[in-house]
Order: sequence, then C-alpha cells, then structure tokens
Amino acid sequence: MVQLDHVSKIHTSGVAALTDVSLRVDRGEFVFIVGPTGSGKSTLLKLLYRAELPTHGRVLVYGRDVGRLRAGAVAGLRRTLGVVFQDFKLLPQRTALENVAFALRVIGTPSTEIRPRALQALERVGLMQRANAMPAELSGGEQQRVSIARALVNNPPLLLADEPTGNLDPDSSWEIIQLLSRITVRRTTVIVTTHNKTIVDMLRRRVVRLADGRVTRDEPRGLYAVTV
Amino acid sequence: MRSRSEGSPVVRRVGVQREAFAQFLREASMSFRRNGLMTAAAVTTVTVALLTVGMAVAGSLNLSHLATTLNAQVEIVAFVRDGTRPSDLTRIETAIAAEPGVGAVRFVGRGEALARLQRSLGESPAFADLTKHNPLPDSFEIRVGDAAQTADVAAAIQTVPGIHEVAYGAEVVDRLVALTRAMRIMALLLTVALAVVAVIVVTNTLRLTVIARWREIEIMELVGATRWFIRWPFLIEGVLQGLLAAAAAGSVLLAVYAVAAARLQGALPFLPILPAAGIALPLMAAVAVCGIAVGAAGSFVAVRRFLTT
Repeated sequence: MVQLDHVSKIHTSGVAALTDVSLRVDRGEFVFIVGPTGSGKSTLLKLLYRAELPTHGRVLVYGRDVGRLRAGAVAGLRRTLGVVFQDFKLLPQRTALENVAFALRVIGTPSTEIRPRALQALERVGLMQRANAMPAELSGGEQQRVSIARALVNNPPLLLADEPTGNLDPDSSWEIIQLLSRITVRRTTVIVTTHNKTIVDMLRRRVVRLADGRVTRDEPRGLYAVTV
Repeated sequence: MRSRSEGSPVVRRVGVQREAFAQFLREASMSFRRNGLMTAAAVTTVTVALLTVGMAVAGSLNLSHLATTLNAQVEIVAFVRDGTRPSDLTRIETAIAAEPGVGAVRFVGRGEALARLQRSLGESPAFADLTKHNPLPDSFEIRVGDAAQTADVAAAIQTVPGIHEVAYGAEVVDRLVALTRAMRIMALLLTVALAVVAVIVVTNTLRLTVIARWREIEIMELVGATRWFIRWPFLIEGVLQGLLAAAAAGSVLLAVYAVAAARLQGALPFLPILPAAGIALPLMAAVAVCGIAVGAAGSFVAVRRFLTT
C-alpha cells in the first residue's frame, strides 16, 4: 500500500527533515507516526500525498513511484487518498455538507451524485444531523469530523491524518482517534501523526517513532515511549 | 510484497464540464464586482495600452494604403537615346517589359511629351519656338509592381541598350518605404513594452482574487482538482478584463479616428486617408486579440505562484 525505500528529505534550506527512512504499511493497517515537533512526521506524510518530493530514495503509494509523477498526474494521486489536518481546512462560508460536496464538485463528479455521496460521508462520521451547520457553529471535534468526511467521500484506500487532534480537547481527541481507527474496518489504511501520548498508549496499535528524521522504533502494538 | 500486488486505483481524467464552466463564469463575475476599484484600474491601464496598439494599427494601415496608392502612381521614365531609329523602339520596349518587377510599359513620343509639357505649363509665347525645335526625347513610362523595388527596376532598365537616362521619384518612394518600416518597428516595441505593463497590472488585480480564495485553491489541490480546473475562473476573469478594455479602446479609437480622418482629408484632399469604416474590422480584431492575450497572461502569472504542484 505504502512503501518508503531509504528515503531522505533535505529542505532547500539545507535542513535534513528525514534521513534514510524505510517503512512499509500494508492494506487496512492503522499506524501512528510519533515523535517530537520537528522530527519529520509531517514531512513523511507530505511525501505520500506529494506535497514534497524526496531528495533520495523512493516513495511508493499503491506501487507507484510518487516522486516520479508528472505534475499533471498529482491530481489523480490526490483523488485516491484522503488527507486530514490539525486546522481542519474547512471553508468558513460553507455548511458542513457543502464543504464535503466541494471536494466532489471540484473533481468533476456528476451533480446528481454529489449530495447523496456527501450525506453518506457525513453519516459515516456521525454528523448527518449537523449537515447544514456552518463550521463556526460546530465544535472542534465536529469540525474535524467534517474534514474526515471530506477526506473519505471518495472512498480512498488510504487516509493520512497530520496531527488530527492537535487542536482538540482530550475527549474530542479520543473520539476522533476512535473514528479514524474504525475506518480500518473497511480495509482503509490509516496513517496518523501525533505527539499525543495518551491516545497512542490507549489504542495500542502499530507505532513508528521518528527522532531527528530517523526511524528509531517500529512496534506492532506499541506505546508512545519505550517501556522500561 | 503484498502491498505491490494490490494494484493502484484507476486514475480518472476529468475534463471541464458545462455546468462547471457556468460555475466558473459566476465566480469570475462575482469577484469582478467584489474588487471593483482594482478591476477598474486594471481595465483602464489595459485600455491605455490597447489605445497605443490601436493607433499603431491605424497608422500602419494608412501607411500601407498610402504606399499602395503611390505604388500605382510611381512611374519610372526611361529616356531613349537621341537618334534612335523608330524600328529599334519596339526592341527597347520588349527589353524593358522583360525586366523583372516591371508592370506596364507605355511609349511616349517626343511630340506627346511636348504637348503634355505645354498643357501643364499653360500657353506661353516661348512654346512657339519649342514646337519648331522640340528638345524632348522619346521616352517610356514604366509602372512598377512594388514601390519598394522601384530603385532596383530603374537600375535594371538603365542597362537596356538604347536607354539614355532613367528618372523616377526616387526620394519619395525610398523615404516612404523607410518610414513604413521604422514605424512598424517602433509600434511593435511600444506595443511590447505596454503589453508587459498591462500584464503586470492585470496580474496584481487578479492576485487579490487569488488571495481571497487561497483556502479554496489549497483544498482543491488537496482533493485532486486539476490545475486547469483551478485556473479556469481566474482565466475567465482576466480575459473579461482584457475584452472590456479592448471594447473601450476600440470604440474611443474609432470615434476619434472618424473625426480626425474627416478633418485631415478636408485639409489635405490629395492625401489618401482610409475611412473609419475601412479600418474598423482589423483595428477591433487586433485590439481584441491583444486584450485577450494580456488578460490570459496576467491570470496565468497570478495563479502560478499559488499552485504548488
């Protein structure tokens, strides 16, 4: 599903964000990427949705070398994966439903399909009854659900979440993580970056730890920190 | 390698649909109204640039019209050597007609030449003497196909045996040809310089629209909208600005030209000036094409910096 072969990323400023990272994530897996701020978590995700290109090594998504995609093919890649962010990235003047529908509309989905599919995605995240609420009327947790609905509306095989609980209180964080974790039931691969120790330790899923751009640990049912 | 065998989801290529296009048009006109003042500023600047383009086109059209008119009037006169036998005249005429670039050749006998001179100078007692001893030679009047070639054709005719001297309105023709060329080059340089300014102004105006919608652009990129899908509304907005400026510049130019041409024609009746109706179509076309090009280029530059892929 996702594979990194000896990937390094050196920013134009000369800072090495990732150094010789190799990683494989299989279909239906749920993976936490943990580590302190600046350890390269976000860069790793950006390589997967091709917001950045690797300096060395290969990044394979669905077996395709993402680093070698033509600029025109990037849109095609993005349609096959969902991305969720810490700041939700919702359009403030549009309702929850319109925000989800927007993702369908801008990729040329037939207009008759848009509304039912957007509603279905909201139902999946448990927000059907708030479909017509504006983002400002929603709690942080609810806003993040809208953004997850938007990421899932195309039924992508891969969902990437970059610090999805970074702006949320502990209760909402737990809800969002449980929601993301349930998505794998449908064989969707989910990769979540976080530095939230509590939720990582509660969920006990695969944990990949990054420190200074290197993988220092990769455990199948891991904890945030090393157990002594 | 389990992950490899799963294969990649089919990447769909989605073109711009008609309903999407209608949406683009709505978005473009909406931001047109929102950024009213900046849009007005941009349209005005482009209008000024297009005015110059239009003036260059009008001037250029008139110069080529003048050249064509003079072309038809410019003649080379080849004087036959004194004492040439009438039987040789046919041979000389054939030789002249065979030169490349020569249009029509007409023989003017010395008697006819004198009569013409008499007519143009008016009755004068001195002519009585001239009619007795006609000093004028036989000659040929030659029309040239292209005024720019007059000098070459004249030089060639000079070498025809039996021709004594060749004369033509050398300076007028040479200057006209040089003037036309110089004016075209200057008009082109000026147009390019103004076009660059116009593109910059349009870019700045559209950047406002782009910034106002950066979040939408960001999300569109993330969820896989194609770059063309993202560009369309801005492209339409830029082209609309260009067309508006073209309409303004074109109407102003035609109105001013109609008045100026009529006045000038009244003052200088011998000058061949094209009527406004004669230049309307090429002028409007040139201004519209330039307007569209400037608008499209401006929108392209404005969006480019916000497209990350």
